[in-house]
Amino acid sequence: MAKMDLLQGTLDVLILKTLSWGPLHGYAVVRWISQQTEDALRIEEGALYPALHRMEERGWIEAEWGVSENNRRAKFYRLTDAGRRQLNAEAESWQRYAQAVGRVLQTA
Amino acid sequence: MASWRRSFRLHLRGGTVEQDVDDEIAFHIETRTRDLIEEGFPPHLAREEALRLFGEVDGVRRTCREIGVRRERGRRWTESFSELRQDAAFALRQLRNAPAFALIAVFTLALGIGATTAIFSLLDAVVLRPLPFPEPERIVNLWSVFRGEDRSSSAGNFHEYRKSARSFDSLAAVLSSSFNLTGDGAPERIDGARVTAGYFETFGVRPALGRAFSAAEDAPGRERVVVLSHGLWRERFGGEPRILGRAIRLNGLPHTVIGVMPASFTLRSDDARLWVPMALEPEQLTDYGNSFLRLIGRLRPGVSPEAANAEVQGIATRLKEVDPRSNAEKGARIEPYLDRLLGGYRRRLLILLGAVGCVLLIACVNVANLLLARGSARSREIAIRSALGAGRGRIVRQLLTESLVLSLAGAAAGIGLAYLGLRCLVAISPPGVPRLGQAGIDGPALACALGLGLAASLLSGVVPALRTARPDLQTMLKEGGRSFGAGSPRDRVRHGLLVAEVALTLVLLVGAGLLIRSALELQRVAIGFDPEGLLTAQLSLPEADYPEQERAVATVEKVLDEVRGGAGVESAAAVSILPLSGWNRSSSVEVEGHPRPPGQEVQADTREVTAGYFRTMGIPLLRGRDFTPRDRRGAPPVAVVNQMLARLAWPGEDAIGKRLAYFISDENGPAWIEVAGVVGDARLGRLETEMRPGFYIPLAQSDLLPDDVEMALVVRTEGDPAALAGEIRRAVLGIDSRLPVFDVATMDEIRASAVATTRFNMLLLTSLGVIGLLLAGVGIYGVIAWFVSQRTQEIGLRMALGATERRVLAMVAWQALRPVIVGMAVGIAGAAASARLLSSLLFGVSAADPATFAGVLTVLALAALLASWVPARRASRVDPSRALAP
Repeated sequence: MAKMDLLQGTLDVLILKTLSWGPLHGYAVVRWISQQTEDALRIEEGALYPALHRMEERGWIEAEWGVSENNRRAKFYRLTDAGRRQLNAEAESWQRYAQAVGRVLQTA
Repeated sequence: MASWRRSFRLHLRGGTVEQDVDDEIAFHIETRTRDLIEEGFPPHLAREEALRLFGEVDGVRRTCREIGVRRERGRRWTESFSELRQDAAFALRQLRNAPAFALIAVFTLALGIGATTAIFSLLDAVVLRPLPFPEPERIVNLWSVFRGEDRSSSAGNFHEYRKSARSFDSLAAVLSSSFNLTGDGAPERIDGARVTAGYFETFGVRPALGRAFSAAEDAPGRERVVVLSHGLWRERFGGEPRILGRAIRLNGLPHTVIGVMPASFTLRSDDARLWVPMALEPEQLTDYGNSFLRLIGRLRPGVSPEAANAEVQGIATRLKEVDPRSNAEKGARIEPYLDRLLGGYRRRLLILLGAVGCVLLIACVNVANLLLARGSARSREIAIRSALGAGRGRIVRQLLTESLVLSLAGAAAGIGLAYLGLRCLVAISPPGVPRLGQAGIDGPALACALGLGLAASLLSGVVPALRTARPDLQTMLKEGGRSFGAGSPRDRVRHGLLVAEVALTLVLLVGAGLLIRSALELQRVAIGFDPEGLLTAQLSLPEADYPEQERAVATVEKVLDEVRGGAGVESAAAVSILPLSGWNRSSSVEVEGHPRPPGQEVQADTREVTAGYFRTMGIPLLRGRDFTPRDRRGAPPVAVVNQMLARLAWPGEDAIGKRLAYFISDENGPAWIEVAGVVGDARLGRLETEMRPGFYIPLAQSDLLPDDVEMALVVRTEGDPAALAGEIRRAVLGIDSRLPVFDVATMDEIRASAVATTRFNMLLLTSLGVIGLLLAGVGIYGVIAWFVSQRTQEIGLRMALGATERRVLAMVAWQALRPVIVGMAVGIAGAAASARLLSSLLFGVSAADPATFAGVLTVLALAALLASWVPARRASRVDPSRALAP
């Protein structure tokens, strides 16, 4: 299966979804997403960070410095209530979008 | 791979934004490298692979840092803003709980801020705003200087300056004159000016409508054109744009309207309202004796006033040789136009600003005192808050927010007061202040009020906030916060504030006192005639309507005869220049038998009068006789001198029958006239100038009347003089319907306007002084009342131990008066220094007038005693058993 480029704005939803399981640091978010998509999505790993910081600015996620599993200082991100609402809204619109596109493609 | 999810997290402090971003990225790369190695990637290539997977490290780092910095800034703003909002809300609650305190403080500040804002907006409109002319700094006056005084120039000298001076782009001459405007509507007297071509170019202002004079029109026979001011065009001609090309009658002659100046060209309410060409006659261009022109020039770009000064002085030296008789003693001087226009106003307004500044400072001191008193009442609350963890900085900020809220409320109320105050100021201010009409509560004034509010909150708030936020442990430990023994730091601050307040008030009151004395002195000036029951009116008989002066004089006589027949008229006469009008004419007098060297002739004021003038004015005839209708042209010329001239010219002799000559005569020798009478000294010119020698000649015998004869009628009436105004108008119109009667006023009104400026200064400074005194009284009262409340216990103890009421009274009063006395000492020094700035506004009283100082000190001491009496009295009535009860 060829790797797909990430659609604009999709990264935000993926991050929100990932963080809905619990607080993670950035690297863990990357690993989680590639595991879940079985490396089907091509994410430039660095692109994650501006997205995280922007969402933090918008108040969807919160950050906190903590210690990682290998005893290193790491920045952990956690979903806020606003972020959870955002995730639900985005997920819903994604599903509607995918269904609509899917229906069109099936009839063809 | 789930191991890191189980990691325990500690709360670690983040570093700077930049450091955090770097750490986060580094963590990612390192963990990725480790994972790659774990997954079997060749270790020496793992880091490179991790970086490749990451992508553009620098770009990511930059973006993340930008976001972080932006967030950090936003966070800090929101935090301090929400803190300020909390503080402000808290402050409002606090103030609502103490409405009396809040009202007094806001009103006090509003007085100070309002007064200062009103004066500032005057200063801004009159002085600070640039003139509405391009490059106004290049506009200058060119004065002839005679014995150290600025004088007008002769047409001959003007011609020479215009011909040879290189410093000017343009140089113009102005002669203020009035015109009878007749046709369409009632005849009207209009103040205008005759100007040479180039006058408007000198100011760099084009007419809003039409054009200015051409050089060709500034010539005899071509000069029947006129440029109108915006105001005259609007009022007399309804702003009709088709006015251009129309002819209007000025002094009986038709003039074509060629232009209308813009409204901004009029700076003062009494500025010229129309301009006609000067049209100097060719022979005038070599007349160096008759000095009547004001010269205004525009300097060439890059020419400094100093350089121009040097050049005109050089020309003045050359002019001495051209006509030694007129020019021998004449120099020349360049003066920036603005300097003369603003003249004393800049200084006067700055003095006023200083005075209102004093009021504002007193207001701030008062509010500071109020805040201190509140602070000590709230010391328990503050102590509790700081015990709960509020830092000192936080508490200070909270307290400052309270004074900020107070001050802003004060500023808002002050703007209202300033608006009212400004309207009053403009209404009562004397005429002639440039651009007064433009003063208003506008942008700069609002900014001023806001700035003053902020400044006031700091001035009044900082010391109390710092004091209050450091609750004095000792005091706190004593239940109820009462302490024995004077001289605690808080007392010292209070006393310091009281000293400042008293000193500032003294400075204000001394200024006000000096101006009150000046106004009184000016009212008391002996004028030498009886102003009551006198009605005056101006009459102008232009040359165009009265080509022969005999006819003009006969018409004046006819008008007087008509007026004398009116009911309620005792007598009537005419004079060439009305006393106290501010105008003057004087001549060099030669005294027969007592020749004086040239340059040292007796200078005497000269007036033409009709028969009956002295009787009408109430000027006593001391010797000899009054003029009679027989003293006319052809009869032997006579004069009546005043006592001063009689004593100066013929000391120890009888002046009657002696002869004098009042103009430098030609080859025929002096034209001697005989003294027929001596009258009492009556003021001829302004009130402020010294009484001067003077003489009167019969109107019919005068050789000095201008082409356009102008006379003032004076009418002594039996009843209210103002009631006769209409009758005089009718009498004049019945004789010649083209003659306007203008400036009809009672002599009392003229006298009042002669003292208007001094009265205006006095009124303003006195009201400021009274406000200051009231505020200071409230301040003294507040401090003493506080002192008494703090010492109720101690006083009770003293009384229980046998102190008499009187002793307690004395003790409390002494506490109050100590800072008052120190404040007076400081204030005397300050007042002595600042009163010198006032000296140009004073009349008949020195800036160090001991009586004024003594009077002001007495008033202030009485106010202080009164303010401390009430609380001291309360202290002496303290019931020992109540005061000492636990």
